[in-house]
Amino acid sequence: MRLIVARCEVRYSGRLDALLPEALRLIMVKSDGSVMVHADTGGYKPQNWMTPPTVIEEAEGLLVVRKRAGATEDRLDIRIAEVLSDVEHDMGEAAALEKDGVEAHLQELLAEQPHWCGEGFRLVRREWPTDIGPVDLMCRDDEDGWIAVEIKRVATIEAVEQLCRYLERLREDPAMAEVRGVLAAQSIKPQARVLAESRGLRCVEVDLAVLRGEREPELTLFA
Amino acid sequence: MKLSASGADLLAQLQTVSRVASTRSAVQALSGVQVSATASRVELRATDMEVSLRVPLTADVQREGTVVLPARLLLDVARSLPRSADSVSLELRPEQQDVEVVAGHAKFHLRTLRAEDFPPLPEPGGDTVVTVPAGAFVDTIATVAKSASRDETRPILTGILVSASGQELRMVATDSYRLSVKETVLESPLEGGFEANVPARALEELRSVVGSTGAETIRIGVRANQVVFEVGGAVLSSRLIDGQFPNYRQLLPEQFEHELRIAGDELGDVVKRISLMAQKNAPLRLSFGDGELTVSAQTPDVGEASEPLPVPFAGEPFEIGFNPDFLRDGLDSIGAGDLLLKLISPLRPGLIQSADDGGFTYLIMPIRLNV
Repeated sequence: MRLIVARCEVRYSGRLDALLPEALRLIMVKSDGSVMVHADTGGYKPQNWMTPPTVIEEAEGLLVVRKRAGATEDRLDIRIAEVLSDVEHDMGEAAALEKDGVEAHLQELLAEQPHWCGEGFRLVRREWPTDIGPVDLMCRDDEDGWIAVEIKRVATIEAVEQLCRYLERLREDPAMAEVRGVLAAQSIKPQARVLAESRGLRCVEVDLAVLRGEREPELTLFA
Repeated sequence: MKLSASGADLLAQLQTVSRVASTRSAVQALSGVQVSATASRVELRATDMEVSLRVPLTADVQREGTVVLPARLLLDVARSLPRSADSVSLELRPEQQDVEVVAGHAKFHLRTLRAEDFPPLPEPGGDTVVTVPAGAFVDTIATVAKSASRDETRPILTGILVSASGQELRMVATDSYRLSVKETVLESPLEGGFEANVPARALEELRSVVGSTGAETIRIGVRANQVVFEVGGAVLSSRLIDGQFPNYRQLLPEQFEHELRIAGDELGDVVKRISLMAQKNAPLRLSFGDGELTVSAQTPDVGEASEPLPVPFAGEPFEIGFNPDFLRDGLDSIGAGDLLLKLISPLRPGLIQSADDGGFTYLIMPIRLNV
């Protein structure tokens, strides 16, 4: 992690243009290529930033951060007029935020018990890769149909859109042209459920305590 | 717009119509009541875009017009008016963008809401129009409504499936934990028929409107995605719920291990009493032995209770647990008289029916008992 406190001007160009006039700011460069520019006010959000994968080039008084965004390139030009502090720290392995009910835990439990996502489901693979990111679980059913499962703690409309994007990419492969989608979450927002069902996705609410075996599932007349 | 009406009439109609006004919408006009005055009729209207209600108001109209006023505020004002005042007048003051409300010496000026944001409400009629006896219709609603789900994450279950044709009126409601079916035989056959999943909330509102109007019939107009009820001058409309309602016939078990005829009142009293000790989601335990049923409940740190009653049970003893509220709802809907309690096993649904074939069936899923 490199932390630079400097008087700098920051110019962003790419899909749009933005200029931060010269002022004293904190520039944070992480080992994964993330770059954030913070002011001393304005809350927790950086004034400007670039997420990885980035290419960082440094010259005298200039830090340039570049990133491909489709056909275009996003670029952050940081002109440094005066450096007040420039330190680097080896942070080591990051400790992940521990939170009960976190999605990774849900994914683990559902990977072990995929039938909670649908009757007859069997797990093929966790983190099934697509060119826009991994699908949480890829399963097959009794008829060998493919099912992509997206897992959230709380499923919102964004989760529905995300799953739809994954399905679009997956269906480009003729072997997976009929892949279906299931949105599994501890709770599903009503609007997300309406959108999901209108797009042909199935919604499944899962109870963490039941998945962990801490409680028996409630008996119901129908699913 | 300028009109005058009796304070009591205004209050009564406002109490009815303001229940339908929205309390959560970003569109302020939906939290309002539209007062529409013409030479021939005055109407109060409210809607939350799902359910809408129009009720008549007996009034003298000095000047026609339409205005939208905050429902809750207008109701509070109407409630607070001096009882000594014979009448209350409402007059729109366009330049001040308010309505002057005068009763006796009391005078209020209420700012109006944007009238153009208040939507037109559905007119009576429909693709299918059926007239049903009001009493039978609302009694049937009352019998099943408690079983409808309140969970908006499963919208289909928040409705009541209403079927009317020939001489039969049938309503079905379920929240997946219990299912109520009420079949009412009508005195005369209906002209026409329909089947629709109507939001339980709208039907509960209809019950209130029938109660306040004393109407004897309800004229029901059904469209593709909407139903309109005309009741004694009032018009209630609601969107219909899309989607496939659960096939309740498939859920009813064909065979039972035990069938017991029990005095409904007696069982209902015991259940109500012992349920006091079934708190914090504790189940009500029904333990069947030779000739006897013991109803018991226990809540840690609160206490326990049990009470036996004689029942014609024979066979291997077994225990089954139920949600006390759900069991009480089913017993209450049966009412007085004997009931049939049909059971299979501790993890299969139980069935409660009126023994005199009153047309009511209640299927209730048990709760697992911790041994």
